[in-house]
Amino acid sequence: MRLRKKARLFSAALALMLVLGACSSGPAESGNNQVKLTVWSWDDTVAKAVPGFEAANPNIKVKVVNAGSSFDEYTALDNAIQAGSGVPDLAMFEYFAVPYFAIPGKLDDLGKLGAEDLKKDYAKAAWNDVTVGDKVYALPSDYGPSVMFYNKTTLKKAGVKKPPATWNEYYEDAKKVRALGGNHYIAQDTGDLFFLLSLIWQAGGRPFKVNGTKVHIDFTEPGTTKAVAFWQKMLDEGLLNTKVTAWSDDWNRTLNDGTLASQIMGGWLTSSLPQRAPKAAGDFRVALMPQWQRGDEVGAENGGSGFGIPAAAGHKDAAFKFLEYFTHGGGLSSRVDAGAFVPNTSVLASTDSQNKVNKYFGDQKVGPVLAHATKIVASGWQYPPFFEWARSAYGDLVSKFYTTGKGSLTGILEEWKQRMIKYGNEQGFEVD
Amino acid sequence: MGHAGRLDVTAVMSPDTTQHQAPAKRRGKQIGLAFIAPFGLLFILVYIVPIVYAGYLSLFQEKLIGGNTFSGLANYTKLFQDAQFWHGVSRVFWFTLVQVPIMLLLAMALALALDSRRLHGAKFMRVSIFLPYAVPAVVSTLMWGFMLGVKYGLFGSLNNTLGTDLNPFAPGTTLISIGMMVTWAFTGFNMLIFYAVLKAVPRELYEAAALDGANEFQVVRRIKLPALRSSLVIAIIFSIIGTFQIFSEPQILPSMVANSGITTDYTPNLYAYNLAFAGSQQGYAAALALVMAAITIAVAYAVQIRGLRNAFED
Repeated sequence: MRLRKKARLFSAALALMLVLGACSSGPAESGNNQVKLTVWSWDDTVAKAVPGFEAANPNIKVKVVNAGSSFDEYTALDNAIQAGSGVPDLAMFEYFAVPYFAIPGKLDDLGKLGAEDLKKDYAKAAWNDVTVGDKVYALPSDYGPSVMFYNKTTLKKAGVKKPPATWNEYYEDAKKVRALGGNHYIAQDTGDLFFLLSLIWQAGGRPFKVNGTKVHIDFTEPGTTKAVAFWQKMLDEGLLNTKVTAWSDDWNRTLNDGTLASQIMGGWLTSSLPQRAPKAAGDFRVALMPQWQRGDEVGAENGGSGFGIPAAAGHKDAAFKFLEYFTHGGGLSSRVDAGAFVPNTSVLASTDSQNKVNKYFGDQKVGPVLAHATKIVASGWQYPPFFEWARSAYGDLVSKFYTTGKGSLTGILEEWKQRMIKYGNEQGFEVD
Repeated sequence: MGHAGRLDVTAVMSPDTTQHQAPAKRRGKQIGLAFIAPFGLLFILVYIVPIVYAGYLSLFQEKLIGGNTFSGLANYTKLFQDAQFWHGVSRVFWFTLVQVPIMLLLAMALALALDSRRLHGAKFMRVSIFLPYAVPAVVSTLMWGFMLGVKYGLFGSLNNTLGTDLNPFAPGTTLISIGMMVTWAFTGFNMLIFYAVLKAVPRELYEAAALDGANEFQVVRRIKLPALRSSLVIAIIFSIIGTFQIFSEPQILPSMVANSGITTDYTPNLYAYNLAFAGSQQGYAAALALVMAAITIAVAYAVQIRGLRNAFED
């Protein structure tokens, strides 16, 4: 039985490769120099840009394929690259995955194709996300500036008139919300890594320093320790709901009934919150995330992705043409209309996005808040090239802490660091 | 000398056989080979080749920087020092030790009940107890996940009405819940094995027992249970192999319930999967798979030897 399972695993992998190979057979050029591009994307809005692009470039046909989200796509791409066939011309990457592909040379340097000219249209931090070393390996296609979604009604019930502007106020307000009793909490947390990193990011900590294949990990910088200690205090005093995980059914429920007073998350939640919490329509508002110093305006990032061209891709020039079209050129507006939140300064500053009121958020003008949150994202953040693996390792470590309450975030981060050092060095990086 | 030899042969065998036997034997062998060829080919293709390939893979280390390098037995030495792996092994070991006896006792009791001929609707029962075996593990995990879930499931309502705070998917209880799912799925299968054996017991034995004045319990103790012995060994081996490979349940549960305590190294199979696909350490995962296979075979073999010896001693 064991053997059968192995065989199944291998045949499944084989089948996957075959399927992927069939989906995107490389140079399929016909007589009149037709180029067929294959794009791997789990962002639905990319397909919206295809008709316009094909009309303007009759010799290029674009096929957008969903090869899985995030992790699944990376695995498929790794397999395709290893197999040497079925590699797409464009693939989608979360920002943290860009170094994973770029550093071992699996992604093309877009600078040679003219990407540098587009730099000024992107928010600084987004451009930083797609740059490894001093080369650009992807173009940003969507962005997640960290913002605070707060339930105005719940806060009001708790006696909080203004949304917390500093983390101190956030802490005080958390106590007031908790005083409402029952399931009322200011937020939930069951070990959300990206949230914790955004907190560290905003506080000035830069735990990962990457230079080529050298990675330095340090969770003892003052910015990092300040952020971690604050969140530890929130947990220790029982001010957070540690029973409800983001994205779960329970989460939707607690967002709906107003027992979770706030969410500090990427701006992308703007488009999905109305579906998750239809009953809370009119209750939520968006604000900048609380600050460490009153009067400061420092932001952080939570999510976002871009598209790059694999080094093994067949039609790099055509691929870049399309990439430019849907992330910067004529195709951008069709994606924005379809709900994409893009880090292009031209879009963020447009009067359209500045003046549009959002009915769900009580007729608030959400656009300017998100645009501002994007502009103030602090620079200099780096992800280690093995972050995808590191993420799952963190999940293992943190689940023990959140379920048993034994240990501390600091301890977990240290243990996480040790695991990353071990893994990274095994993988041929120099990690310390 | 050659002449003498030929004479010897003809002296022993009849002329007929000397002429035809050898080619016929060879032809028979060829026909036999032709008959097993389709099986043999498939066997080599789906059993032997993957194992050899896994063995080959396990000698390499795939690095993000530096690519694939031959590393000899480094993956194996690393594995023997890998605490995460041994935690997983000990987890499935304890799981097996608790779950398998419970499941088999249950299956045996059900088989005896069905065989007692005192039940109404025995056929219906037989099918319905066996049915869970036909439900794919993925589906059954989703189903149980919903039923045992604290927030939206059966246990949620139970906790609400009784005011309790039971959570079947807390880190301490998750394994028990998985044990329940597995028991639910495989009791029927084992019951069917036992039931088939009981069916094969000659009816005369029961008649003789009845004539000797044995009651139902004595029949069970003296006839039925001894008859089940050797099939019990088989059932234990199947179950050990099955539980050592637990994968679907811990793979799916974390996406359904928060903080179930399931980690990426929860069971050896899950660990191998995550090493290969999240850590891109295919060589290491292959080594793990082979070592785990060896452990499983060793345990199953030990059970078989012990079990069969006992069965024959009686």
